[in-house]
Amino acid sequence: MAWAGSPAYAKTQVNFTVAEYSSKTGPYFEEVAAAFEKENPDIHINIQVVPWDTLLQRLTTDIAGGQAPDISIIGTRWLVDFASQGIAEPVDSYLTPEFKSTFIDTFMAPSVIDGKTMGLPVAASARAMLVNTDLLDKAGAKAPANWDEFYTTAEKLKAVPDTFAFGLQGKEIETDAYFYYSLWTHGGDILKGDGTSGLDTPEALQAVTLYKKMIDEGLTQPSPTNYTREDVFNLFKQGKVGMVFTFPMLIPQIKAEAPNLKYKVLPFPEGKAKATYGVTDTLMLFSSSQVKKEAWKFIEFAYKDEWRTKFDHGEGFLPVTKNVAAEKYYSSDPDIAGFAAGLPYAKFAPTIANWEEIADTTVRALQQIYLGQAKPDEALKAAAADINKIRSK
Amino acid sequence: MKSRTRIPTTPLLMILPSFLLAMSIIGYPILDLAWTSMQEVSRFGKMMGFVGLANFAEVFRDPLFYSSLVRTVIWTVAVVGGTLIISLPIAIMLNDDFYGRGLARVIVMLPWAISLTMTAVLWRWSLNGRAGLINATLMDFHIISEPIEWLATAPLAFTVEILVGILVSIPFTTTIFLGGLSSLPQDSYEAAVVDGAKPWDLFRYITLPLMKPFINIAIVLNVIYVFNSLPIIWVMTEGGPANGTDILVTYLYKLAFRFGQLGKASAISLIMFSVLFVFTIAYVLMVMRQEHDNTAEEVKHDA
Repeated sequence: MAWAGSPAYAKTQVNFTVAEYSSKTGPYFEEVAAAFEKENPDIHINIQVVPWDTLLQRLTTDIAGGQAPDISIIGTRWLVDFASQGIAEPVDSYLTPEFKSTFIDTFMAPSVIDGKTMGLPVAASARAMLVNTDLLDKAGAKAPANWDEFYTTAEKLKAVPDTFAFGLQGKEIETDAYFYYSLWTHGGDILKGDGTSGLDTPEALQAVTLYKKMIDEGLTQPSPTNYTREDVFNLFKQGKVGMVFTFPMLIPQIKAEAPNLKYKVLPFPEGKAKATYGVTDTLMLFSSSQVKKEAWKFIEFAYKDEWRTKFDHGEGFLPVTKNVAAEKYYSSDPDIAGFAAGLPYAKFAPTIANWEEIADTTVRALQQIYLGQAKPDEALKAAAADINKIRSK
Repeated sequence: MKSRTRIPTTPLLMILPSFLLAMSIIGYPILDLAWTSMQEVSRFGKMMGFVGLANFAEVFRDPLFYSSLVRTVIWTVAVVGGTLIISLPIAIMLNDDFYGRGLARVIVMLPWAISLTMTAVLWRWSLNGRAGLINATLMDFHIISEPIEWLATAPLAFTVEILVGILVSIPFTTTIFLGGLSSLPQDSYEAAVVDGAKPWDLFRYITLPLMKPFINIAIVLNVIYVFNSLPIIWVMTEGGPANGTDILVTYLYKLAFRFGQLGKASAISLIMFSVLFVFTIAYVLMVMRQEHDNTAEEVKHDA
């Protein structure tokens, strides 16, 4: 019934599906759209706010039913699937050199597939380690900078009663990411140079053996396979865990729920390499859109500095554009600076097809190892073989 | 003799419209599913071409399919069996006249009104190792000294999920049984008591045989329902750890909505439908033949 509410004169309608990061997301984009419409009275932006949990399903149904929006925020890890099916529109022809130069190259890179830019980074975060400084003081330990120190610090923390040294996630979403932190800093990677799985490398074995050893020696909470990301973060908020790996969005939670907690944001322990996990979301233009020019006009408007600043501060994200990144806030606030520090060496999940299935295979192997159902080297080798099969390598 | 073999056309014609309507409503999705299962389907639901039985071949090559199938059978038998064994005594107790029976009946029914997903979420919280109510209670009563991580290992998690499955199936099954019990003829009991029958005899020789049709309905409906039930396992463990609690429907859900393999998922869905279809037909036939035998026996006695 699109015609039911159409105005007297024909406005160009641009449909924009927005992923809901928080309760602030919808109102923010409505505000941007209103400001844009003031300058462009002939264009109307229809904002549809969809929760992250159902976003992929929603877009799948919309696309299958021929009702795809004109622009949408998506997880960058899905972009390959959208691009390979011809659903995403390459934006190189729209992207002026001037507009392109506003972005930080690290965040632009994951959206480039086969040399074509398939979307723009819209939100970014990086991961880091949080330590409970009160517990460290009690244990007489210092914050670790590398994996050897991490292990000895954990041993000291173990002596503090009613607490756990290291919060290790072993259940559900991002269980694999928790392992990649260790994998990358040990010098390994998700894929080798030739595109085959990096799980059967010595670095991967070293990374997982360390976790397994810490589980067996009681340096983590018992039975990590019963703990999701949120469960581990909750233990940290309750002051029951000395060290966790986490995302920036935990900081506002701590400030609201555990204001007395003394913590510090630090880089991940180093091994052979420095690393953090960079996560981006992508703003994608649909190839089926009939109003690409108008949609792009809105996109350029929404990337103005004033709007980006408001968005990044409001949601607690790291900046994706150079001007916002240059703001003092990102170097002076110790929490934000702690997360932003990793950006120069941030690694991303590879943009490859069937990523969810590959992640699931990895999680299965990790859980078998954590539970002691399989030997680390055997489980990793089997997972690598499965992943290579999924990727037809 | 002639009148028996003649096919009555008028009644058939009269049920034809509703029969056609029912067939199109039931049949269309199944045909569509069968069609999809023989296509290569993109993750956005686009048909990419006919592949014959390739999706089925892939399913039958997949070790996770077989382990999920075995677990589905265990899950269904355990939940339905457990539910029947618990629901029948509950129904018999609730059928007795006692003070506050109305209230007791309402309390037994109430969980039925709560969505399965919410029940599963509550259990997931209660079973949390450190913050859960179950461990806290057990430790308060000194039954355990260390918290138990209920959902950390597959065997324990699956057992717990079966127990929750039984718990949520009890209200519906009890309702069926209560309906059956209230329709049993009271004079048979009175006659039996006069003849000196003990309560166990009453149950064994009167209640159980007369309740058979209701038990059969409860079995068929529960099997169909439990076999296809996603929320409990999905919410509590998502089939993990290490796929150790996956049943077919959770595995299917992952394939369809996480991995975007809609063709393979349709194939599994069709296999599940066939299994249930064969079970239902076989069970109904078996029950009908039994009833037929029973009637024949009664007729013989009369003669």
